Amino acid sequence: MNRFVGAVPATARLAVTVLLLAAMGGFLALGWGAAAVLAAYATLFVLAAFPPDPRWKLAALAVLTLEATLGLASKIGGDLLFIALVGVLVLLLRLPKVAVWLKVLLGAAVLLLGIPIAGFANTFLFELGIQIGIYSAMALGLNVVVGMAGLLDMGYAAFFAIGAYTWAIFGSSQVQHFLTTWVPLNGNFVYLFMGLAILATAATGILIGLPALRLRGDYLAIVTLGLGEVVRILANNLDHPLNLTNGPQGITGITKPPIEGFQALLAALGIPRSASTDYQLFFYLLVLVIIGFIVLVNVNLARSKFGRAWVAIREDEIAAKAMGIPMVKTKLLAFATGAAFSGAMGVLFAAQRGFVSPETFTLTASITILGMVVLGGMGSVPGVILGAAALTILNLDLLKGFSEVLNTMRQDGTVLLGFPMSQLPSQVDPAKYERLVFGIILILMMIFRPEGLIPERRGSREEEA
Amino acid sequence: MTGSSLTVEGVSKRFGGLLAVNKVSLRAEAGKILSVIGPNGAGKTTFFNLLTGIYEPDEGQVLFGNRNITGKKSDSIASLGIGRTFQNIRLFSGMTVLENVLVGHHNRIRTNYASAIFRWGGFGKEERRAEARAHELLRYLQLDERADDLAANLSYGDQRRLEIARALALEPTLLLLDEPAAGMNPQETEDLKHTILALKADLGLTIVLIEHDMAMVMTLSDRITVLEYGSVIADGLPEEVKANPRVIEAYLGKGGANA
Repeated sequence: MNRFVGAVPATARLAVTVLLLAAMGGFLALGWGAAAVLAAYATLFVLAAFPPDPRWKLAALAVLTLEATLGLASKIGGDLLFIALVGVLVLLLRLPKVAVWLKVLLGAAVLLLGIPIAGFANTFLFELGIQIGIYSAMALGLNVVVGMAGLLDMGYAAFFAIGAYTWAIFGSSQVQHFLTTWVPLNGNFVYLFMGLAILATAATGILIGLPALRLRGDYLAIVTLGLGEVVRILANNLDHPLNLTNGPQGITGITKPPIEGFQALLAALGIPRSASTDYQLFFYLLVLVIIGFIVLVNVNLARSKFGRAWVAIREDEIAAKAMGIPMVKTKLLAFATGAAFSGAMGVLFAAQRGFVSPETFTLTASITILGMVVLGGMGSVPGVILGAAALTILNLDLLKGFSEVLNTMRQDGTVLLGFPMSQLPSQVDPAKYERLVFGIILILMMIFRPEGLIPERRGSREEEA
Repeated sequence: MTGSSLTVEGVSKRFGGLLAVNKVSLRAEAGKILSVIGPNGAGKTTFFNLLTGIYEPDEGQVLFGNRNITGKKSDSIASLGIGRTFQNIRLFSGMTVLENVLVGHHNRIRTNYASAIFRWGGFGKEERRAEARAHELLRYLQLDERADDLAANLSYGDQRRLEIARALALEPTLLLLDEPAAGMNPQETEDLKHTILALKADLGLTIVLIEHDMAMVMTLSDRITVLEYGSVIADGLPEEVKANPRVIEAYLGKGGANA
């Protein structure tokens, strides 16, 4: 885009911007919400069409954050504004020549004000934020295995399942099916179980890794794919002779962590409350804290001897061995680290949903998480988070939203371009085309941006314009 | 740092019907430079791969100092103090020059997993010490200005020198150099010669060198072993080897006159 900037005189750019903003002023007549939404779209347009220099960009991003938040809060703004908020975060990470504290301030405003305010207006956005967080955390874990160490793991959802079932079984009445005297644990144990799940999944990772990591490349992919399915099938079938997992019905009524203290805090701060948003806000903030921690771990490991050893193995295994890097030990460490992230998120997932079933942990789930890593940029922390956000929004929001629009049109008998929508076959349902759209995205990416949306950056490599 | 000797006794390696290395015995004295020469396909690189554990010998044994390292794994051999470079450059091309050398330091950095995650317990100190040491090695090989560049972006000669720097990061007592001058221009070759001599003089390293540049081999070597079809056909001081009619016939051929 920057190529075209030179062609547009600065005065023309300024004129267009002023005109657009003036037009927005006119829309104020429609009310604050509508004006904010329109202003947000205008800012998006200005940002995309006439990228300003970094300092102005920061200002534009701040304005956009404000407009998008207002728009979402007024319940007029569409999902695009939520995506715009996510976009602000990503652009912030890539913004050069701006003081760090300014970036942190705006980032915090988006995460702690923008998204929660939008969430209060539309609780689905909270859910979306939480799911993005959980998938980002898992994708960051898989990033260690696939992105850094270059070990293609196609059964990653298995660790998510193990984490989720660890809490699901002991945090619900399920445990009484095989330990009759046991009482379901109270919600405070969620945090302990996150720790336990980390240990359990790391151990499973090592157990699975020991035989699997003797293989490389495609062979490793096939073996991990198989082992991932084994875990799902176990979850599906361990309802007899001893009912451990309750089989395909899944486990319901999983205890959530207690939030009395949190609610008291909310009341003290004068934040509007309701039974559903309390929990959503709580989980949203909890996920944020965990993501922060996981990013820290990811970055710290990447800049240590372990991270370097992983990348060395990915780059050239024989040379890495000749540098004294023990292959099995180092690969197992990567595998166990990735597994542990996934396990901890599994516990959180089970506690937040209150329900787990084997369906969540299919091969498709593993591939989706892998897709997030590949789409975002293998080895790149901001890239992987962006990939997770993009695919989660696509799956949970955009395609479903599109389906709903089509359904409404069918029912209302709208005629689109001379075609009566009521005659549209019921098979035309974008929500079911998740795989197709995902596939097309990956193909396009392989053609236009094979290193991912935000490629891993090392050394003083020139940044692409 | 002082060099360790290397003793190879009757080592063989067979790939199907091909006897790639046939009962090779040789000895590299501590602190000396031994060159292994021979025509293309004589089994020199296979021989290096046997020493460094990439292949396991079918028979014979390899002694590093007094320690038997036959059949040990690559990484444990490297940790014992055998550094090597590769004929077909095998740098970690997606990593920076500095990171490449730091990977060589892997086993010298005493950081455990927990302290790497939380950056506590002397993590920073160890990391800075390793970086300082890596910069020192890069300066030694005139690569320090390129420390933050990607290894892939270096010139061919620089990449070869980076391979040496990375091998030195292991703090080895024996250095195996597989055609370090291949693809270098005359000036780079001349510089490399001085570097290798300096390694011997400054660090007292034992060096085993595979090289096709005869002028370089003749000036550097304390001893030369000649391989042909996987077998040793001559072994001795440079002058002896140069005068050996079998060597001239098998390897030097017409080029023998210039050497």
